[in-house]
Amino acid sequence: MTTQVSPIRPSPVTPGTEVLAPGHSYGSVTDHIGGIVLWRRFGWIWLAGFAITFLLVLVLTGAIFWLIVRGIGVWGVDIPVAWGFAIINFVWWIGIGHAGTFISAMLLLMRQDWRTSINRFAEAMTLFAVACAGLFPLLHLGRIKFFYWLIPYPNTMWLWPQFRSALVWDVFAVSTYFTVSLIFWYVGLIPDLASLRDRADSRAKRVIFGVLALGWRGASRHWQRYQTAYLLLAGLAAPLVVSVHSIVGMDFASAQLPGWHSTIFPPYFVAGAIFSGFAMVLSLAIPLRVAFKLQDFITLRHLDNCAKLMLVTGLIVAYGYASEFYMGWYSGNVFESFVGLNRMTGPYAVATWLMLTCNVVVPQALWIRFVRRSPFLLFILSLLINVGMWLERFVIIITSLHRDFLPSSWGIYHPTRWDIATLAGTLGLFLCLFFLFCRFLPVISIFEMRELVHQTGQGAHPPDRMEPAHAH
Amino acid sequence: MHTKALYGLMAEFDAPEALREAAARVRAAGYTRAEAYSPFPVEGVTEALGFGRTRVPLIVLIGGIVGAVGAFGMEWYANVLSYPWNIGGKPPNSWPAFIPITFELGVLGASFAAVIGMLAMNKLPQPYHPVFNAPRFGLASRDRFFLCIEAEDPIFDAHATRRLLEEMGPVEVVEVPQ
Amino acid sequence: MKQGDNRTSEPFEGDRLWRSLEELTDPASAASAALREFPADNPWRGPDRADAPSRRRFLQVLGASAAMAGLVGCSDRPVEEKIVPYVRQPEQVVPGRPLIFATAMPFNGYGRGVLVESHEGRPTKIEGNPDHPASLGATDVFMQASILSLYDPDRSKTVTRAGRPSHWGAFATELTQRLEAKRQSGSRGIAILTGAVASPTMGAQIKDLRRRFPEIAWYQYEPTARVNTMAGAQAAFGRPLTTLYHLDHARIIVSLDSDFLFEDPMSLRYARHFANARRVRSDTREITRLYVAESTLSITGSMADHRLPVRPAMITQITHALAARLGVAGISKLQFSGELDRFIATAADDLKQHPGTGVVIPGEAQPPEVHALAHAINQALKNVGTTVTCVEPAEVEPTDVRQALKKLVEAMENGTIDTLLILGGNPAYTAPADIPFAQALEKFSNARVADGRLTNFTARLGSHDDETTFLCQWHVPEAHYLEAWSDVRAADGTTSIIQPLILPLYAGRSAHELLALMLKETAQSPYELVRAHWRAQRRDSGDFEQWWLDTLKKGVIDGTASAPVQVGAAKIPAPSSTPSTSVTSLDLIFRPDPCVWDGSFANNAWLQELPKPFTKLVWDNAALISPTTAHRQGLWDGDAVTLMISGKQVDAPVRVLPGLPDDVVVAHLGYGRRRGGAVATDENGVRGFDAYALWASSTPGFATGLTLQKRSRRWELVATRNHHAMSALQGVDHVAGVKPHLKPDVVVTPETSRDELELKNRRLVRVVSLPQFRSNPQAVRELGGESAKKPVLSLYPTSWDYSQGPQWGMSIDLQTCIGCNACIVACQAENNIPIVGKFEVARMREMHWLRVDSYFSGSPDRPSVYHQPVPCMHCENAPCEYVCPTGATTHSTQGLNEMTYNRCIGTRYCSNNCPYKVRRFNFFAFGYQSSKGPEQLQKNPDVTVRTRGVMEKCSYCVQRINRTRIEVEKTVLDLTEQQRTDEARQRRQAMYNDLQTACQQACPTGAIVFGDITDRQSTVATLKAQPHDYTLLDELTTRPRTSYLARVTNPNPALGEGGVA
Repeated sequence: MTTQVSPIRPSPVTPGTEVLAPGHSYGSVTDHIGGIVLWRRFGWIWLAGFAITFLLVLVLTGAIFWLIVRGIGVWGVDIPVAWGFAIINFVWWIGIGHAGTFISAMLLLMRQDWRTSINRFAEAMTLFAVACAGLFPLLHLGRIKFFYWLIPYPNTMWLWPQFRSALVWDVFAVSTYFTVSLIFWYVGLIPDLASLRDRADSRAKRVIFGVLALGWRGASRHWQRYQTAYLLLAGLAAPLVVSVHSIVGMDFASAQLPGWHSTIFPPYFVAGAIFSGFAMVLSLAIPLRVAFKLQDFITLRHLDNCAKLMLVTGLIVAYGYASEFYMGWYSGNVFESFVGLNRMTGPYAVATWLMLTCNVVVPQALWIRFVRRSPFLLFILSLLINVGMWLERFVIIITSLHRDFLPSSWGIYHPTRWDIATLAGTLGLFLCLFFLFCRFLPVISIFEMRELVHQTGQGAHPPDRMEPAHAH
Repeated sequence: MHTKALYGLMAEFDAPEALREAAARVRAAGYTRAEAYSPFPVEGVTEALGFGRTRVPLIVLIGGIVGAVGAFGMEWYANVLSYPWNIGGKPPNSWPAFIPITFELGVLGASFAAVIGMLAMNKLPQPYHPVFNAPRFGLASRDRFFLCIEAEDPIFDAHATRRLLEEMGPVEVVEVPQ
Repeated sequence: MKQGDNRTSEPFEGDRLWRSLEELTDPASAASAALREFPADNPWRGPDRADAPSRRRFLQVLGASAAMAGLVGCSDRPVEEKIVPYVRQPEQVVPGRPLIFATAMPFNGYGRGVLVESHEGRPTKIEGNPDHPASLGATDVFMQASILSLYDPDRSKTVTRAGRPSHWGAFATELTQRLEAKRQSGSRGIAILTGAVASPTMGAQIKDLRRRFPEIAWYQYEPTARVNTMAGAQAAFGRPLTTLYHLDHARIIVSLDSDFLFEDPMSLRYARHFANARRVRSDTREITRLYVAESTLSITGSMADHRLPVRPAMITQITHALAARLGVAGISKLQFSGELDRFIATAADDLKQHPGTGVVIPGEAQPPEVHALAHAINQALKNVGTTVTCVEPAEVEPTDVRQALKKLVEAMENGTIDTLLILGGNPAYTAPADIPFAQALEKFSNARVADGRLTNFTARLGSHDDETTFLCQWHVPEAHYLEAWSDVRAADGTTSIIQPLILPLYAGRSAHELLALMLKETAQSPYELVRAHWRAQRRDSGDFEQWWLDTLKKGVIDGTASAPVQVGAAKIPAPSSTPSTSVTSLDLIFRPDPCVWDGSFANNAWLQELPKPFTKLVWDNAALISPTTAHRQGLWDGDAVTLMISGKQVDAPVRVLPGLPDDVVVAHLGYGRRRGGAVATDENGVRGFDAYALWASSTPGFATGLTLQKRSRRWELVATRNHHAMSALQGVDHVAGVKPHLKPDVVVTPETSRDELELKNRRLVRVVSLPQFRSNPQAVRELGGESAKKPVLSLYPTSWDYSQGPQWGMSIDLQTCIGCNACIVACQAENNIPIVGKFEVARMREMHWLRVDSYFSGSPDRPSVYHQPVPCMHCENAPCEYVCPTGATTHSTQGLNEMTYNRCIGTRYCSNNCPYKVRRFNFFAFGYQSSKGPEQLQKNPDVTVRTRGVMEKCSYCVQRINRTRIEVEKTVLDLTEQQRTDEARQRRQAMYNDLQTACQQACPTGAIVFGDITDRQSTVATLKAQPHDYTLLDELTTRPRTSYLARVTNPNPALGEGGVA
């Protein structure tokens, strides 16, 4: 074999902040990332993590079982607060599910090369988050067994769903979003599955990856169509991301409840979604890069960019809050102004102020370069923002409902242990799926990394490990 | 010596530039049935081999239109023809309320069209293909670049073709059995 | 415990099966019930349910009673007993079509005429009998809820001796033998104890008894008997008389601690007449003015133009002062100062200026002296004969019941009696604390001679196994008034025959039967007894059978109303030394509970879960105190206190109620039951606190010298609404659940400033005074603010046509709604609305389709109170409809907002988007939980019982609408072509005008009016055309079909608005 060395260009940026650490070749990236799936042994950390999250999945199953046996009443919901944790969690998860497709699609369209190393697991995260979110609209039904009446076909007595309801819009938005994200994710995986197929050391793996790879062989014609399709998918997914959370926002905006009935909801829900999405990306990426030694691929540059995006979206969210409170007061409408006052000083004031701290005050730290470059600080910060965004949904839903027009109908809301079990359970489900993903599929897009190697001008050489695929 | 019929001759390169160059020269030599294989899309190879533009975008457009029109049609039918309820005093054809679903299904249709169209035109899934018979072809999904001239090519000649390929300084040139 | 729960009720086989099934289906123990999501107070939970009749038994009862409705009764009673349908109904049962029967409900001794709806022999609903003077077609909560008591699974089901099952035969033998033995020995020592008796037949029976047993002693005891009223008449005219008021002629009403709109035997009549004279229409020139001086916050007080909260003892002095100013002879002038003086002065002047059209009404709680003075005042004002009349009491023998009970106890103690029959009532629980009836009865029942045989004989006829049963040897199940024949007189003397609607579910007996047994009469069935009595009465007047049929049809016996008696000038008793109300101690005020009355309704789940007026408390009573008193005592809602008065003490929870006078504690009787059913008692054994334990016979209305001691523990009080949140009261922050700056303003008057009106006020209750209204009829409309004036704009074309009649709508008159709650229970009975129990109410999951909101405004000690019934608004632009993903709630062509239960999957989005929050959700299988017992017989077959997980709400009683619509279509079809046009419309409108919703039919004041708003002649259309008609939250442009008529006050110009500012 020829081993002619082409000089490695000095990296243009300060060390540790380039999109790909120097010294990598087509082979090394392939083996390193593929290796995690193919040859790496299960560490005790992974096993422990998986065990714990799986336990939480069992908790979720138990909570759902009890819910179905006894009815919605096991939750804390009441009249007037007929929506509780279920819808809060739904909106929260959907929001988290926005970063993945946003990163893949938007950044692809904007030709952001740094997206390459985070889009794969961000997309996976999206899928799992949306899956968790999708549970809640079903679970919160009084009569779960009839959920299929939401599916658009002339069902019982030839009745259709009532298409004016924002809940039906949700059904379409969420299912479309999930499907498109899934397609997008899978299409991205095909060439990598081919790589794994060709590296697999056991027949079983070869067969499984082979089937999934659909017989991909990297023909240039294929690459051409593939890229066009992928680009178009990105072009479609981008507006989809915006539409989905706008529609979720309309669940509230299209109602006439003070605190919900507000035209700013769609845009500021989208911003909030991406905000929380990036927070979750960081909460996952930072441990991940350490656990699997991916610092070379997920560099400080990535963390830095995510942080910047969080800052931007965070500011939009802050503007959303401000305009809500201000308009409430400025409208001179007794009900609107009351909502603002009640949020800040009423029985749920604590939630409101915590929300403002986590979502408005804390992110301001991101103006500081040092913070953006410190994985530890970013990790803490991203967790806080996740909490803050959950609280935002809590504040929007609970405080608006518990005191609305007629004081005679004012009430209060207390979650029960089943509400909490369900929330914890979905967290478990999400992480459990993620644990499985990062062991059984390449967490970074391999072929795009090879492209990156090519673009950063590093070549096809050392160290050339003899991979088992050669053995025969 | 070959029990099986010959599918083609395949040259292996270790750099995308080499592949692009080879592709150009093969094309210049008048070969029409050649195909390049690479671990990632290499710019210019398809042009060098002289393939035309893809029709995937058209399919996507059609898919999108079908999805959107279908969606609005469904909503309109359900509310105006099938079951014209009085819902909160709104007219049967409350078209503004029908927009979100129309948009969503439009996107869904287009996305399906994109993927299915792409796979169909690539004739995937395709479990077996002769090129996999090349011993080192596995590297096509790692770090090697292959150019294969098929035996069906009108001007294919076992020796001439091999010579042409070897002139381009490949890692090696192998025969790919059918 | 004499009786374990493991007793079996012998009439029904299959009990064991039921019980074991129960245990299978109810995994958790009853003890942990409160913790589980099931309502803690599910009334039919627990071992009692095991005693529910088996299905087979239901069928027997049903079959029998169906047969009974016009056919031959088949039962252990071999006789043929015809009961006769109400006159407007067909004579025979048409399946699916209910029959209506007229009968009467004995309440507090007096009769109230009712119409009972019966489906295939199942009585399901009570309405008032328009022909009955004490009802005029209206009902109160007790009449409405009595239907549930009929099916109460906790009713005693078998004759027991010493708690062990026995049977009627054994009882009859022992009793008759004993009586025989006595007759030989001069019939000494026999005593019977009854409630207040106003049944002519029973009166006659007792007369016979006395003839048969000359020495027999008859005692009457009724805890809420109107002793002071009678004594007052006694003092004034030398004999007990009943006072009747004719408020439809009254212009000025002065109430002296009298809740005549709720607590009086004739309250329904008074409420109707009061409303008639109070109603405001665009052309109204004059309405009644109501002055109330009271020591509690009563429903009557909440309607007052001028209300003066005072300590109870003050009333006597106020009455004196009034009498003095009105020139009643022999009254020394009493001088007062400040508001008290102003109040008396203005009231007196007003009365003077309206001779013959004013009336002074004293409250039963006040001493006889006040009543006598009131008589004198009314005479002085020439009101007697116009607004006030006196009639002979309806009771067979009016007595001072508390004295009677005292005598009985003495008799029991000194052994002058040895045979005691207690017919009805529950004296062991309701006896005053200073009369040791329970102890005496226990000793009496257990007294034994040397050889261990029991000395005395005690038997008790009662509906439940309660405190009294526990102390008696024999217990005989008492028949419900819908199960047995009888007759009863109303307070004004009007007599009704009580005809049963169904055979006794639990082989209950009526008092008539027991008396007949004592009389050894051959014919012992109440049916024959009652008929025999009346045949005797009408010996010489025409065809008895025909008269009998007509009477049963009508529900009242013509010409039985007592004629007014001529009385001489009222003698004024010497001014009693006014009890010194020491400033250090507090006054304790006793009132029958607005929901469970004297405790006799304690096992009725509807009434337990009925939000009490003002406090909206459920499943509990509380010691009510004013905000200032609470502040002074450092108390807060739910604090437990020990009430101590004259050596007796009881622990009670505190509830703060604005509008009470300071330094008084209001205690409602009827709670703290120790036995008597799963609903009456709580897991820990007691529900609420027992005010009887403090109640002295000498001070029935109120007692002074109460001391409070705060306890450390808290008491979980549950209310359906946080009434503090509903009050914009200033300066009551220490009691308010809501921070002061978050207190919503909801009441607007022309005095409200523009800014206040536009920016701060929710404008839910709109109030103007009569002069303001007359000078500017648009006054109320202006209270709607700018938003009300704006035209409704929409991008959508108006694509639904509501011009085609009938279009249903409702008008609710805040001016005449007195907040008596009758509509709520009526709705519950009509629409199969489940109860959820205290625990679930605490979680804000009550199911009432109709609620009555009470709003307070003004100062905490002198608040104005407004009642606002809130059913579904049936908005034309219903916000609930367009958010429903399955189209489960849609709009009908007649403008109804319809709920399709089958289609509902329970997203609850509709409730979130309902600005009026009138939707109710089945968080659990509320509707089915209570359907394992006999109470399912009460369910209205025309209304779906909702399953778990579906939304429900007021339907404007769509089942009634549809029944009428079908009738209409039939009549129209009957007509020929040329008739069809005009006559059809007239007939149709006539029929639609007769249509009433359940709440409307129950309402004593006619505050709720329902009908076709496209028909100009219809009442509802004329009401909606009134200038003071408005809708809730009109700025949301939901276009509700339910609208309100503003409250119009009629203050005396001499005094300010509202209280006595």
